[in-house]
Amino acid sequence: MTGLPILDISGLSKSYGAVRAVDGINLHVDRGEICGLIGPNGSGKSTFFDCVTGLAKPNAGAVKLDGQDITGWSLSDIAREGRMLRSFQKTVVFSALDVEENLVIAGQMFTFPGILSTFGVGSAARNRVAALRERARELIKIVGLWDVRSQAAGKLSGGQQKLIQFASMLMPEPKLILLDEPMAGINPKLIERVVESIRLANMSFGVSFLIIEHNIDVVTSLCTRVVVLDQGRKLAEGTPDDIVQNQAVREAYLGG
Amino acid sequence: MTPAELSIPATGRDLRLPFGVALAALACAAPLFLGNYPLHAIIIALIFLLPAHGLNLLLGYTGLLSLAQAAFFGIGAYTSALLAVHFGTPFYVNFLAAGVVAGAIALPLGIPALRLRATSFVMCTLGFVIIGQAIAKNWISLTRGDMGLAGIPKPYFALGPVSFTVSGTVGFYYLVLVIAAIATLAAYLIVRSPAGRNMIAIRENETLAESVGIPTWNYKLLVFMISAAFAGLGGSVYAHYLTVVSPLTFQMYYSTTMLIIVLGGGAGTISGVIFGSLLFVGLTEALRVAPELRMIAYGFCLLGLVFWFPSGFAPIIGRFWSFLERRK
Ligand SMILES: Nc1ncnc2c1ncn2[C@@H]1O[C@H](COP(=O)(O)OP(=O)(O)OP(=O)(O)O)[C@@H](O)[C@H]1O
Ligand SMILES: [Mg+2]
Repeated sequence: MTGLPILDISGLSKSYGAVRAVDGINLHVDRGEICGLIGPNGSGKSTFFDCVTGLAKPNAGAVKLDGQDITGWSLSDIAREGRMLRSFQKTVVFSALDVEENLVIAGQMFTFPGILSTFGVGSAARNRVAALRERARELIKIVGLWDVRSQAAGKLSGGQQKLIQFASMLMPEPKLILLDEPMAGINPKLIERVVESIRLANMSFGVSFLIIEHNIDVVTSLCTRVVVLDQGRKLAEGTPDDIVQNQAVREAYLGG
Repeated sequence: MTPAELSIPATGRDLRLPFGVALAALACAAPLFLGNYPLHAIIIALIFLLPAHGLNLLLGYTGLLSLAQAAFFGIGAYTSALLAVHFGTPFYVNFLAAGVVAGAIALPLGIPALRLRATSFVMCTLGFVIIGQAIAKNWISLTRGDMGLAGIPKPYFALGPVSFTVSGTVGFYYLVLVIAAIATLAAYLIVRSPAGRNMIAIRENETLAESVGIPTWNYKLLVFMISAAFAGLGGSVYAHYLTVVSPLTFQMYYSTTMLIIVLGGGAGTISGVIFGSLLFVGLTEALRVAPELRMIAYGFCLLGLVFWFPSGFAPIIGRFWSFLERRK
């Protein structure tokens, strides 16, 4: 099993009207790998994520997670398994709730065996939530949000909200996390912290990553392999060095 | 958990318990110093508190605006009335049956309705009230049409050898008080449970809620059913209190009233809804405001709310509260 990629996608396509947003993409993420996904604006990166995670239904192609075919599953069905989670390009948090509650929610569906049990008011439910809270606090410390943990998430800065999003995804101990531009709009010092958090999650918790990112320095320092999309198609694939040298990629995306 | 509750600072003395005890004592002692008419007003307010709690779970916590509460209120009223009149079953049977039937009918109604987007959903729930009224009017063999069902007995209890009937305003007041207290506790427990947290998550951002594995659709359906059950229970008490039901029990006016209670009191807070029902139903009833006039008053209340208190009275109570606690 260990030789099998954690995520294996073949022939994935998605059209919006006449726009072929994603056009027959094959892509895999190996276990323990941090893989980069780059490309110009509108090249279909976010749409690719949407199709993989069940937010959008692909027109064609297959998605295999951990060897299991999950094509056509809904976003919440995939997420509820807790194996693969995603972030959104536009940062979203549960604004009215504090940071800790945001994380507790993110872990809840993996702790309770069914919907009805979540109405449980007995000590079993309380213990489960207490355990979630414990884990939430640990993760809050890791991403450095301890001082603002009881503030409403909506009141925090965009960068801090990104950190909430990131920490939330670690709550259910997933095997794979898809990040959509985790560094966009984050100041350099905070970028370091996010990069470190990703490394830590990768090394200590064994989480694999697929990361969409326009910050090429971050991509080259974090990723062992990079896939380049252009107009919905795969333009190139290789080590960060290969990609930076690649003539086609320089013309389509990197410039120079 | 909710914005209003969050605004209560952790510093200072927690006054909630003493305040709650004082309120409970006051509620229990009310018949000693209130005449029958004010008691009647409070009874009506407490009856409407049930569907309002239901609507608050749906609108205040899950973020779904529904106008169907009056339909389920009517279904509960008719369920109780039919059982009592035809089978002479004791009150608690009629009462529970009203909740179960209303909740069960919400299932087939909710499945298509919740597939609709927000505005269409609201229109659809409005349709339920109109259809409910039409059925009550036209299924004459069952409902006796416009004549309605009269002679619904006062709440009658039969527990083994003991049986008694709750009659008189004071007796009914205590019955409704107990029911309202239990309903409030139930709403509180739901809101405080992990499910309550998931409901808030759905209200805040549905896609994000799905991305953390919350089956949003199932929750919405479940909460829709729970809110219908609350409304059905309220309708049952209403039927037994008035001793008559008619197609007028299915009224848009009732849905509007419940909406005003929730929005005016403070959607997403339990205490706000209690306050709202006492203020908007109890007070108008006590002042003997005519229904037409009440509609106009509600209209102005709504306008005032939208402009000055977009989150209802709850934040104001919250601020007053923290003021009290800081003074200690
Ligand atoms: N929901 C949608 N409806 C219609 N068209 C869409 C939708 N989502 C994406 N598209 C189109 O699909 C194409 C790819 O968009 P996508 O958001 O996937 O690009 P991206 O690579 O993530 O770009 P960026 O780097 O700017 O985030 C664009 O042409 C976009 O207009
Ligand atoms: Mg994008």
